Amino acid sequence: MEIRVPRLGEGADNGTVISVFVKEGDKVEKNQTLIELENEKAVAPIPSDSAGVVSKVHVKVGDKISVGQLIATLGGAAGASAAPAQNPAAAAPKPQAAPSAPAPVSYAAPAAASAPYQYQSTLGIAPPASPSVRKLARDLGIDLGKVRGSESGGRIVLADLRDYIQHLQAAAFSAPQAALAPVVQAPAKPAAESIDFSKWGPVTKKPLTSLRKKIGEKMQESWNAIPHVTQNDEVDVTDVMQWTKQYGADYEKKGVKLTLTSLILKACVQALKKYPGFNSSLDETTGELITKGYYHLGVAVDTEQGLIVPVLRDIDKKNLYEISKELGELAEKTRQRKVSLDDLKGGTFTISNLGGIGGSHFTPIINRPEVAILGVSRGVLKPVIRNQKIDQRVMMPLSLSYDHRVIDGADGARFIREIVKSLETFPESEIKLGNAKKNSEEPAKSAKPQKEKVAAGKGKK
Amino acid sequence: MNPIQTDIVVLGAGPGGYAAAFYAADKGKKVILVEREARLGGVCLNRGCIPSKTLLHATKLIKEARESDFRGISFSEPKIDLSKMRAWKESILDKLSGGIKGLAARRKVEVMTGRGYFEDSKTLRVETAEGQKFIQFDKAIIAVGSRPALPAAFDLGNPRIMTSTEALEIEEIPKDLLIVGGGYIGMELGTVYATLGSKIVLVEAMDTILAGADPDLARPVVKYASENFKEVRVKTKVLKMATHKKQIQVIMDVDGQKKEELYDRVLVSVGRSSNSADLGLKNTKVQLDEKGFIKVNAHQQTADESIYAIGDCVGGVMLAHKASKEARIAVEVLTGEESIFESIIPAVVFTDPEVAWCGLTESDARKQGLPVEVVKFPWAASGRALTFDRTDGMTKLIIDPETERILGVGIVGHGAGELIAEGVLAIEMGATVEDLASCVHPHPTLSETLMESAEMFFGYSTHAFSRSHRKDEAEQTVQA
Repeated sequence: MEIRVPRLGEGADNGTVISVFVKEGDKVEKNQTLIELENEKAVAPIPSDSAGVVSKVHVKVGDKISVGQLIATLGGAAGASAAPAQNPAAAAPKPQAAPSAPAPVSYAAPAAASAPYQYQSTLGIAPPASPSVRKLARDLGIDLGKVRGSESGGRIVLADLRDYIQHLQAAAFSAPQAALAPVVQAPAKPAAESIDFSKWGPVTKKPLTSLRKKIGEKMQESWNAIPHVTQNDEVDVTDVMQWTKQYGADYEKKGVKLTLTSLILKACVQALKKYPGFNSSLDETTGELITKGYYHLGVAVDTEQGLIVPVLRDIDKKNLYEISKELGELAEKTRQRKVSLDDLKGGTFTISNLGGIGGSHFTPIINRPEVAILGVSRGVLKPVIRNQKIDQRVMMPLSLSYDHRVIDGADGARFIREIVKSLETFPESEIKLGNAKKNSEEPAKSAKPQKEKVAAGKGKK
Repeated sequence: MNPIQTDIVVLGAGPGGYAAAFYAADKGKKVILVEREARLGGVCLNRGCIPSKTLLHATKLIKEARESDFRGISFSEPKIDLSKMRAWKESILDKLSGGIKGLAARRKVEVMTGRGYFEDSKTLRVETAEGQKFIQFDKAIIAVGSRPALPAAFDLGNPRIMTSTEALEIEEIPKDLLIVGGGYIGMELGTVYATLGSKIVLVEAMDTILAGADPDLARPVVKYASENFKEVRVKTKVLKMATHKKQIQVIMDVDGQKKEELYDRVLVSVGRSSNSADLGLKNTKVQLDEKGFIKVNAHQQTADESIYAIGDCVGGVMLAHKASKEARIAVEVLTGEESIFESIIPAVVFTDPEVAWCGLTESDARKQGLPVEVVKFPWAASGRALTFDRTDGMTKLIIDPETERILGVGIVGHGAGELIAEGVLAIEMGATVEDLASCVHPHPTLSETLMESAEMFFGYSTHAFSRSHRKDEAEQTVQA
């Protein structure tokens, strides 16, 4: 029985082995994790698809491997019955859009079909096209994987290539800014220059990890594509901090840590509901603003390898206890780099909380294709004048970056004021655990295992 | 002496080198083709494909004559004049080589005879009969080829221990011939010598002969060898050879048992090694791998930006048509076109019967765990195969069940080498099984076996009864 790298998802066809958990002679269960694979987006544990005894491990830490490559050979009693046909390629999730029937070629209505066509093959082979068509595509710099083939078996002919080019042209005309953007940017990129820094003193060199590269690309892309404006403000968190401390113990008893982040998430949803423009995305190809009717908020998590932003779903439908519990688990999963690609997708707004570290206002970069992000810094005790009296209050800096193509300055200010307002008037009853139960079903299951999880996370940090 | 200026110099005039030189000249470049031997054409023409096929053709006649008795045609035992056979073979090689020379002249490709040596990344020194010449080039293409590997332990300097080069000269018909290595060269030459009357023992270190071919394709060849060779020994290693009077004493390990025997001649066909040494490559940035093959990327570029390499000297499958394709890619890339190696390379073994395959093999598909479907059409159902009593053939297709696209074709049988070209076309064009089944194939020909195997996939082959293949497959999956 051979265990191979399964298909992991779009854009995740290869990766670097960062850990190997089994060695020759080990007994493994079905679904037991054999290795961990780091790709651009996350670390994916690769499970064994059958049980048996490892007779050979074919990879080692640091190997770059791709879909279909042999990871380990299982021998022995437990896994012997597996037929050769039942290999991981078959077991791996089948791509939904199998181009077996010659579907009518159509690139129309790109607004609805926002996901571009991409040829997928369970066998991992290139899309079918004659050598002359392949040559033409190469000359034109066209990726045939993105061209829909109209002939039997999805074969791409000249007419398909022509349709695809027309589609590209149409898209370019309908959204001039998007099409022009790369043209304008290209020359702006300064030529990389190799500098020998060791001339001036000792240096160490180490290649960027794929995660680091991906973060860099995303940041660069977002910064180039979006005209950012950052609006700063301060929020009085004296009361909510007091309550968080006061009721946090009840949460703690159930193995959940209550933090200000959960409250901020709630406050953001309230503001997003009032200003739906902040809960939107700009479709640059069609020039349409897509406003979302759901509230999935990304929370930036600082991991040893770098920044990862997992997404908490349907914040508006959850109470503080649920949010806090999920946040703790997701953050821990992220730190251990066990989050799945799906956990990182579908966000509508992002929060980056640096309060735990310190510092004041900063300029967060928008998590494209979202249109805004809230940066949170550490609250400090400040003299505040209220009702002609000087009072001591804990003031927490907020920094809201937004996409000025979609949002105007006045709305930016209104939105951040809304967050401030809802945090400053956060109802105590919502924080109190007893009341929270009313909103939804009792937090289920025994609290013990969760507690362990949290403790383990702390220990690591 | 002033160096000669040229756009492109090609080192080696084999099927890769002359193809590159001609193509570059056709694209308007000034080209010098450097070859160390007087006769152009490289291994393929002089010591490989062409001479071996002339000999196979000649000896096939002997076998067919012998086997015609039952058809009512009888011949007396053939008389064999080796020197005449050699001369005939040489005349063909001369004709072909002369043809290449003529084609070079008409394209104004300068042919320089002599050894080439890189002085640096832009200069080639050539040791010609008229003395040293220096060529200053813009780009160089190395196409120096390969030679038969002869392990040092076997290299006694005794002419009775031959490689394919000497075996193709057929100085004599040895009574007892040992062939070391059951790859295609050993099998093809074994066929020639067996037909001429040698008693052949073929030994192979692995547990199968023709290791690259699918086992079911190799089976008829294994059967031929077991009937026409004295013996085929797998899992056998030759430990030592020594000169013993006019014979060679050979000690071998046959699957754990020691054996000592005497042979009149020994043919060593255990692989080929790159001719990349002694080219002065250390004066350039060109890099070699641990086996001495020149490292290139898919654009045939070496680590030295002005030097390209193609053919056997870069490793991979060592076949003339691979070299010729790489020649095209190298020239296209160095003349600024977008070009990359992505072709499938068909393989043909000219044994009796012939074996040929292209694209994905069944063994590779199984090894990689790809869920392919395979259909096999036995030639016993082919009328054409029956007309010449060679029903020991089979045509098979490897198919992607999802798109029904043809991914691989394998053929064993008479003329498989000619038939495989249709498979290459089908795969490169992205043809589906239905495409192949819908093309009318002429009757009665062996090409019909391709069409009928495609029909078998759908369960309606005219001459082979099969239940719907797809249905069978579905049932099997349920059972498994």
